[in-house]
Amino acid sequence: MKVSINWLKTYIDKPLETMQLDELFTTKSQEVESYQALVNATDLVVGHVKVCERHPDADKLSVCDVDVGSNVLQIICGAPNVKQGQFVIVALPGAELPGGLKIKKSTIRGVESSGMICSLIELGIESKYHYETGIHVIKDSVKAGEDALSALGFKDHVLALDLTPNRGDLLSVLGVAYDVAAMLDLPVEEKTFHVKETSTLNPMDISTDTEDCLSYYGRIIDNLTIKESPSWMKARLIGAGVRPINNVVDITNYVMIELGQPLHAFDFDLLGSEKIVVRNAKKNETFLTLDDKTRSLTEEDIVITNGEKAVALGGVMGGAETEVTEKTTSILLESAVFNNEKIRKTSHRLDLRSESSMRFERGVDPVRTKKALDMATSLFIDYANATVRKGISYFDNTSHSPKPLELSLSKINSVLGSEYSLDYVSDILRRLGFEHTIKQDTYLIEVPSRRFDVLTYQDMIEEIGRISGYDTLPSTLPSTISVGKLTPYQQFKRRIRQSLTGLGLHEVITYALRDADSVYDYTRSNHIKAVSVMHPMTELRETLSLTPINGLLDVVRYNVSRKLDTVHIFEIGKHYQPSKETEVLGIAMQGIYHDYSWQTTPEMNFFTLKGIFEALLKRFSIENVYYEKVSLKNYHPHQTALIKHEDRVIGHIGKIHPEEAKRLDLKDVYVLDVDIEILYELSEPIKRYQPLGKYPSVSRDLAIVCDESILAQHLIDTIKSHTDSRLKQVRIFDYYVGEHIEEGKKSLALRLQFEDPQKTLETKDIDFVIERIVKALKTHHDAVLR
Amino acid sequence: MNIQETLKQLEDALRKDLEGVKTIEALQDIKAKYLGKKAELSLLMRHMKDLPNNEKPAFGQTINQAKQAFAKTIEAQRNRIEEALLNKKLEKETIDVTMTSPDFSQGTAHLLNQIIDEIEDLFIGMGYLVKEGPEVESDERNFEMLNLPKNHPARDMQDSFYVSEDTLLRTHTSPVQVRTMLEYGGQKPVKIICPGKVYRRDDDDATHSHQFMQIEGLVVDQNTSMSDLKGTLLAIAQTMFGKDRQIRLRPSYFPFTEPSVEVDVTCSKCDGEGCAMCKQTGYIEILGAGMVHDNVLKMSGYDPEIYQGFAFGVGVERLAMLKYGIDDIRHFYINDLRFNKQFK
Ligand SMILES: [Zn+2]
Repeated sequence: MKVSINWLKTYIDKPLETMQLDELFTTKSQEVESYQALVNATDLVVGHVKVCERHPDADKLSVCDVDVGSNVLQIICGAPNVKQGQFVIVALPGAELPGGLKIKKSTIRGVESSGMICSLIELGIESKYHYETGIHVIKDSVKAGEDALSALGFKDHVLALDLTPNRGDLLSVLGVAYDVAAMLDLPVEEKTFHVKETSTLNPMDISTDTEDCLSYYGRIIDNLTIKESPSWMKARLIGAGVRPINNVVDITNYVMIELGQPLHAFDFDLLGSEKIVVRNAKKNETFLTLDDKTRSLTEEDIVITNGEKAVALGGVMGGAETEVTEKTTSILLESAVFNNEKIRKTSHRLDLRSESSMRFERGVDPVRTKKALDMATSLFIDYANATVRKGISYFDNTSHSPKPLELSLSKINSVLGSEYSLDYVSDILRRLGFEHTIKQDTYLIEVPSRRFDVLTYQDMIEEIGRISGYDTLPSTLPSTISVGKLTPYQQFKRRIRQSLTGLGLHEVITYALRDADSVYDYTRSNHIKAVSVMHPMTELRETLSLTPINGLLDVVRYNVSRKLDTVHIFEIGKHYQPSKETEVLGIAMQGIYHDYSWQTTPEMNFFTLKGIFEALLKRFSIENVYYEKVSLKNYHPHQTALIKHEDRVIGHIGKIHPEEAKRLDLKDVYVLDVDIEILYELSEPIKRYQPLGKYPSVSRDLAIVCDESILAQHLIDTIKSHTDSRLKQVRIFDYYVGEHIEEGKKSLALRLQFEDPQKTLETKDIDFVIERIVKALKTHHDAVLR
Repeated sequence: MNIQETLKQLEDALRKDLEGVKTIEALQDIKAKYLGKKAELSLLMRHMKDLPNNEKPAFGQTINQAKQAFAKTIEAQRNRIEEALLNKKLEKETIDVTMTSPDFSQGTAHLLNQIIDEIEDLFIGMGYLVKEGPEVESDERNFEMLNLPKNHPARDMQDSFYVSEDTLLRTHTSPVQVRTMLEYGGQKPVKIICPGKVYRRDDDDATHSHQFMQIEGLVVDQNTSMSDLKGTLLAIAQTMFGKDRQIRLRPSYFPFTEPSVEVDVTCSKCDGEGCAMCKQTGYIEILGAGMVHDNVLKMSGYDPEIYQGFAFGVGVERLAMLKYGIDDIRHFYINDLRFNKQFK
């Protein structure tokens, strides 16, 4: 909503331009988009072109003698429309125009020019507000030497408010005036309009067949002269962001902006009857709107009919057949109120959203419906030389009376946390223009119909709070006593992130929405269902991801393409499935881990990632997790495994298939996807302190040779199942195939660590156990000591 | 020549021999020469039997003292040799301490999560619980129970991604508030914050993202007030932007709160004087908040006659961008590691 300050001052007769309205609105009402002069220029006067002759040396230039009141200036003008006798806008030497243009005396092709004759564009009035290409010719009666901006109504400021949807009451100059009045504690002087009618009776018969039309007032106005509106009206419309057209259109717009009540004018001669019947549209009914488009209507639309056929789409758009044109001499002027929900639906469905439909949607003050008709009528008399038939035809089912609302002071103070007194709040209500009485500590408030947005006690508290100013409230903290903490699972997630960053991995966050085709690329199952949005904005953001690996690989690719060799990243993301979201950890690693620079650096491989994952398992005391080789699409067929716990798959780890990596312009990339909700279930909190072993641990190495195909895990499992709890750890510290080893066999060196809490283990104790282990390895795996 | 003179000569000879001895082997030879069985000192002992009995003890003592002194002198030389050898060995182990060391750098937490952690910690300290919920939500919990019935004009403010007629990607984390209130059954105070991913139909550009992070807060109790909201928001502003920051509440509109406010923080760059960052206003908008609408309380099982509350919602990206002067929201989702690594 853009409001001219001059217009506001017709309701509040105070120097509002000096009262910092922008700051006031910002802190107490609505966001201010801008607050500035309508035209930002100096030294502009009205000039009278006395002489206008062609420039001796330039065909397209005119040399004019312009009377600017105090003297006559010779000015060169390039506009083709300049003519002798015109009243024009003259920028005097020394004038500053928008855009920083400074006017100086100059010589153009040998002829002196002292000033400039201006177009509206040069004043900063955008071309969307006028059709003019040349200089602006003033049609009002003016005197040479007058201040041009004042004469044209451009000496004004415009406050542009970014209205929230709940404040429909501010969609009028009058509504804004009431808000200013409340904020500044000033009175609003309402206007009254006296319409001088002729003795010819208004013949209209107006009725409704639908409850969606709440009231309808109509007048017949005759003998219209269609012409340009006066400059002051055009200036105010431009300030309000509305393009002036002609006096009939401008007057209806002007009244709408001033009072918030949309009006519509029908060409009375084309109406075809002396009857208006409002009804809902019929199924399959069509209607030609004044933009010459045929609209298909539904039973929710409201149509204005002449008793036979539709002549307007109520509250949304008029009909082509009854449109006011240059030839129009009589109009039926409509001022009505429609069901806001229905207007919203119709205007959205037909994509016909206008200043009118917006006001009907957000609400109009029923008290102003007739007032708007009277105001417009009096303007038609004054600015279109019209006459008015006697009487208004109407029906009105709206309530004009204020709505009662009860609110206690204690509730106000409890909600705001304030310590307002009974009188203080009473004074704020008075400033808002809300009549009220006080009963004990309760206000019995009469909410005027212009504040149709104030419906509940909470709305009323907002009014009191904002007018009083939120800066007056104290800053306290809730008195609710409670214990704040993360849940163990939330702590678990934080610790995973801490561990991984400690291990040198960078956390990333990626988009969950992906293209539908790629979401299965790196999953461990094709049978899971994905979730897609119904109307994606782009195919690239259609389906929710089923593993963070897609997003992680995007990040690896992005960084690798920018010449970063080492990308070690993780994300805690989700598997999004229909009605099931599982939190998962994703890791992707490319490039060496812990670069030793000039010293020997081990290659990054499967086991690097596995080691990082197992660092997490150790941190959370998760045991009995094992790996099962698996073949998955887009993964290396021999370097990929499911991660399992007691037959349950909890994740997968592996190398991206070299062909796939090549397709992605990547090298050796290792990735992991593991369900952290399950990991959390498996994690063991530290329950009790374990006494430290008093006796030293003993380790024993075993070098064995066995078939290459035998899994290390199976050997370790066998060793474990043939010893007792004194075996604390088994690690493979050497692996060898090649020379000196039979083809198809491998040599492994295992280190077994034993500890007995009761005594120092002696050689013979260990020997006994080792003998059993060796026997078992031979029996189960045909593994022999080397 | 008396014995004293003889011993003196021997000692001088020993010292002379020891001069310039660099190896343990050479030292052994000298030791044998002066202290061995055939050494002069040992031979001198043989003269003892020729002496009168009363002189024997003194003579023996003199010889033994000399022996000990010789041994000590030799030992001292041994220590010197060994020290020299060790030094030589260590010298060979000389390294260039300025050479490059292995890269054990730690990773970084994502900046958005760092900010979420920081805000979570602030609120945990004030007695809040952290609540999370699903990102695919019902229309009912995302909109209807937040006082946004179907066809509500304000739904336009949050254009959303529907996955079915009645399910969508949540447009805010408010449905977690609804879930919590329902879980509590309208019976006990609520004091929670809800961080998480949310989605809106925005074309991705420097200032818009179809996916972003939000933290919402909700307190419901019998006397929770707007002043409590103000103090709580001040705590956020000061935690994020410094203890000298002040806040300003401006009237606004959200369907789920009434009164509703936008919250500005005094510009940290110009301290409220006005600069390019705050568009000369001295303030920067950081979040939206308000007192919970009665309809929301009612629908979630809280009796507005007894309970009242406040809620707020803040965009984590916005906080990060303001705090660190980040110019493009897409940085958070592209994860150029040169960006991520800046926030340690
Ligand atoms: Zn600033």
